[in-house]
Amino acid sequence: MSNPLSAVNAYNRGLARGGAPPPPPALAKARGGRAPRYPRLGVYTGAGSSHSWLWFAESLERLGFYDLRFLDHAEIAAGGLDGLDGLAVSGGDTFAMARALGQPGAKALEGFLAGGGLYLGACAGAYLMLRSSQEPLCWFNFVQATIANLSRDLPQPLMLPEKYKTAYGCDYVFHPVREAVGLSCAPGPLGGEELAAPLYGGPAMIPASEEVEVLARYAAFEKRTKFLAPRDLAAETLLGLAAVLRAPYGRGSLYLFGPHFEHPGFPTANRLLAAAIYADLPERQPERGPEEQAALDGRPAKDWLLSIKRELSNSRIVALGLEDHPARWLIGTKVYEPAKLRVFLEALWDRLRALGKAPALRGPADALEGLPGSLARITVQARALKQGLDAGQDTQPLAEELFPGLVGAASQFMKIYFATALAGLDEDRDGRRLH
Amino acid sequence: MEFLASDQIAIVDLASGEVETEEFSDELCQEKIGGAGINLALYNQHADGDPIVLGAGLFTGSMVPGSCLGVVTAKSPLTGQVAHAPLTQYLGMELKYSGFDYIVIKNAAAAPTMLWVHDGILDVEEAGGLAGLDVWAAVDQVRADKGDDLIQVLGTGPAAASSDLACLMNNYWPSGDRFGLGHALAAKNLKLVAIRGLGLLEIADDEEFVDQCVALQGEVKGGVWAGKKGLLDLAKGMGQDALADWLAPLVHRHRANFNTPFAANSFLFLQGDPSALPEPEEAEMGVLLTDLGAAALFQQMGLELGDAGAILKQCAKLGLDAGLAAKVCLDGGKTDAAAISGALEGLSGPVEGLSGPFSPATPKTAVFGVDQAGDDAWWTRRQAVAHIFGLDPLFVLLAPELSEAKLVELAGIGTELEFSQEGLDAVIAEVCG
Repeated sequence: MSNPLSAVNAYNRGLARGGAPPPPPALAKARGGRAPRYPRLGVYTGAGSSHSWLWFAESLERLGFYDLRFLDHAEIAAGGLDGLDGLAVSGGDTFAMARALGQPGAKALEGFLAGGGLYLGACAGAYLMLRSSQEPLCWFNFVQATIANLSRDLPQPLMLPEKYKTAYGCDYVFHPVREAVGLSCAPGPLGGEELAAPLYGGPAMIPASEEVEVLARYAAFEKRTKFLAPRDLAAETLLGLAAVLRAPYGRGSLYLFGPHFEHPGFPTANRLLAAAIYADLPERQPERGPEEQAALDGRPAKDWLLSIKRELSNSRIVALGLEDHPARWLIGTKVYEPAKLRVFLEALWDRLRALGKAPALRGPADALEGLPGSLARITVQARALKQGLDAGQDTQPLAEELFPGLVGAASQFMKIYFATALAGLDEDRDGRRLH
Repeated sequence: MEFLASDQIAIVDLASGEVETEEFSDELCQEKIGGAGINLALYNQHADGDPIVLGAGLFTGSMVPGSCLGVVTAKSPLTGQVAHAPLTQYLGMELKYSGFDYIVIKNAAAAPTMLWVHDGILDVEEAGGLAGLDVWAAVDQVRADKGDDLIQVLGTGPAAASSDLACLMNNYWPSGDRFGLGHALAAKNLKLVAIRGLGLLEIADDEEFVDQCVALQGEVKGGVWAGKKGLLDLAKGMGQDALADWLAPLVHRHRANFNTPFAANSFLFLQGDPSALPEPEEAEMGVLLTDLGAAALFQQMGLELGDAGAILKQCAKLGLDAGLAAKVCLDGGKTDAAAISGALEGLSGPVEGLSGPFSPATPKTAVFGVDQAGDDAWWTRRQAVAHIFGLDPLFVLLAPELSEAKLVELAGIGTELEFSQEGLDAVIAEVCG
């Protein structure tokens, strides 16, 4: 079976090298005859984000988008969106995201969109932009649409009570199903396709303005769908309602995805993500300010890689030992389990060997300098967490330190990885990629 | 070495604390195959550093039946000769997946030291905090410090500092070392080597290799040992029914080495009822018997099994080879439990009758009707095969299906290299000294 992403990947690589390859049919249609250019995208990794931003990193990499900037809430508020074509915000804790971004972050996003920026929000990244009267969510009312999966009275969950609902004022945002659901796309950027994509707490949405376009609706449940609520309630809550919306804002556009189109296990959904990016890519590349990129090669690069490998190995050994531990930590409104540690660590570990083959390492100087220390702290904290659990101690404070630290370290790593990949792309005549 | 290997050899200089890595070349594998064959080559290459070489066999950690064995090659303080000590249970497999195929440990550290081997990283760490601990406490401490209960520890106990009867310990239990290599490790100020590997092995022709291994598993299952398990059945299989009867009341369970069809370790309960179904709550319930040597001598001395078990446990914590300790006590006329127990700290050799490069922990007598096991030349050759390919040294005696021709064929399938019977003969001759 052919990989639905390979044609997009080849096209993007050609663009990134400064060529003008013919686009695959789906992208050509989405682009509508406008001149192609290689986009520069941001991925949100700040407070409130879950591990699912790693899915954006993975799927964008598979699609051949290597010009990525990983940003936290503070970087967004401090002008980090300048020079970006698009921003991808994945799942997590919507309230925590909104609180962390705050009004400065909302203003930065507003300016970004008004200037023609593209916003891709999945799950929490979609909720964030829907209309709300509650602070801090009301600062982000960029899309005139509301949440459909909202209720005051709910039956008992059939499974996974910790994933079933989240308080939302006097109501609950509730999640009747998880895992793959069937979607039906309208003609347009998503090409009228029928596909499956995974739902992990994302919204069903109700447009409240004619400007808001429904690109896909929840159409069916799949064999893999898990029901947290009775099937009839799940059907009533989801089927026929909007799963993907497109809305204009200023000169920019927002795409809100209830399901995780960026999940690496769903290549068809990933391909449609690329179509969305090309459909609403700003006409002109925003101006980039000067960027300070450092480089390491030779012995210093070898030593750096060894220190990263050492700490990643130390941490993932602990993480593997903890994987089946029943411990759970509530951080914000999200429940974290020990297996999440490994999700982050494996994403880094999987890329380490490829990074070691690059002729030189590149990235922001603070990331190159800071990452070994960040990962060493993760090792110490992970071991302390394991020791605490073994001793039956309260490990909540440790977990609250460890998980955000891990997200920060993963973000630093990805900055280096993609900067190295992009630099290698220019030098690589055979078209071989890091990943 | 792209296949059935991690492609890395570590050279550790304990005097300087420096670690160098070398590529594990196809040529070295083709010439010396693996395990004891390559260990010996590395030992000779680094002889000026009085090396201790850790290595995995070519098939260690693979699907070949019995593929559990790691090998330690070093000069024995007891025989003065180079010996190959077997590392069974899960240690050899863990070494294979640690990211290093071979580790050469040279010279001596100035202060107590440990090696932390993980995912292709070898860290030389200070071990002052472990220096006073017994074997069990040190294993627990390292696992707690590093945060994983599956870490495999090749270690020594308090006895190792002064006694040439100190053996290499495999986590809490004795390895098959009968050469006093625990003492050799301690002489380097090396308390232990902690190993954890989450690596993977590539196989050249993976489908063919797996098919052949599955077929081989099917063949060996019908062997002479079929339906037998543990040291009780092994004792009976060796014609030592009285020893089996003596052990039986305290045997709780049997435990096999990695991917080895015959379970050759038996756990004795020293507290509680071994026949009781509920899981006991007490820690340190008993002791794992990994061979029959010490037990047979204690039975011969007329000891109560409970007393013998307590001595075995004391030896395990001290890192003392119980079989050698029992022999020294017997030769010295100490045959009651209290006298033996009291003499253990400070007990040392010499031990008469030790010779050859392979451990007598693997019985040299006929087992389950395999008469050849009593043939010294045959036994030695089968031990060489086990130590080169990384196979359980007892199981190779019980499974003639693991023939040299079959193993040579599998080596070619697994690595894409060319091996021959003549080449294997040459390596066997070398490792047998």
